[in-house]
Amino acid sequence: MTSDKNWEELGRKNLESENDIVMARQLVRHYAKQLRMGIVDQTRVTTAVSELLRNMYNYAGGGEIKIFSGLVDEKDALIITCSDSGPGIEDLELAMSDGYTSGMGMGYGLPGAKRLVDRFEIQSKVNVGTTVRIIKWR
Amino acid sequence: MSEKHNITNIKKRIDRIEDILAAVAAGDLDARINSETEDDLSGIEAAIDLLIDDLTDELKQREKMQKEVEDKLSKIQEQQKTIVQQQEDLLELSSPVSKVWDNVLILPVIGTLDSQRTQIMMENLLEKIVETGCTISILDITGVPTVDTQVANHLLKTVTSARLLGAECIISGISPAIAQTIVHLGIDLSSIKTKATLQDAMIFAMRQNKRTDDIKLQSLYINPNEKEE
Repeated sequence: MTSDKNWEELGRKNLESENDIVMARQLVRHYAKQLRMGIVDQTRVTTAVSELLRNMYNYAGGGEIKIFSGLVDEKDALIITCSDSGPGIEDLELAMSDGYTSGMGMGYGLPGAKRLVDRFEIQSKVNVGTTVRIIKWR
Repeated sequence: MSEKHNITNIKKRIDRIEDILAAVAAGDLDARINSETEDDLSGIEAAIDLLIDDLTDELKQREKMQKEVEDKLSKIQEQQKTIVQQQEDLLELSSPVSKVWDNVLILPVIGTLDSQRTQIMMENLLEKIVETGCTISILDITGVPTVDTQVANHLLKTVTSARLLGAECIISGISPAIAQTIVHLGIDLSSIKTKATLQDAMIFAMRQNKRTDDIKLQSLYINPNEKEE
């Protein structure tokens, strides 16, 4: 997974209840605005985060979100990491395909979130947890 | 003589000290030795009394603080109750369905659409559809900042159940940013009539109304003819 110690951490939030999703989302929108991203990009990244957090809450019961700003491939970027210690995803390829859902959703959460951002990295281990990092150029 | 007197008293007085200490230990904070004699032992007796005084003060202080904490806690609990109550009130408030025109209902949605709110919103809308017999309802989502797959799913479900009751839903207030986001998410909303603004939706609803009125008029016009024949 891409990572860099020079990234500046803007904020983080623990996810415990459904309400926290809304608050984390507002946090992301706030920092996206602060980094002077356009309204379309703000909406995109906020929606992507909303999808990821919704998954975390529904399948893992909670998790943590961290928001960074920094350089990725020498380009300014907003970097968001969502991690949980839930059941993990058995078949990542299947989970990333459109229309597949293991729950009650529409099956567009993960693949949709991927399409909303510029870079999407996912790591998952069964019974250990899932970490997703999304990157959006500024 | 006096020494002997003291010695005989000592046993008694130590017994008294023991009694008092036992009483204090049992919780009687008013118990004091209050010795009237003045000799070597009276110093110890006075010291014990002092200690009990201090202890009483401490305990009283602690009780007072505990009471304050409890008061504050109950106040906080009360406030929490109010917040929960207000949240529930908000849930009800936040999904008002109103009839704005002949045959047209409007449901303005503001804020976040979670499962609970959608449920209440759907119930209100469906009830109102049955109650008023309106066949067009406009869901205005201008006040919804984020439309993710869950919100879209909730909207689809609401529209589908309204359709089952014979009412067509129009979703209005989709901003350009949200429109692009929905496309990227891959959600198919093509089965739903959508409009950019509430005004567009109203105009569409009025036209629809006019069309149904015309059809009604036509059938009224045809029916008497049929009778004549």
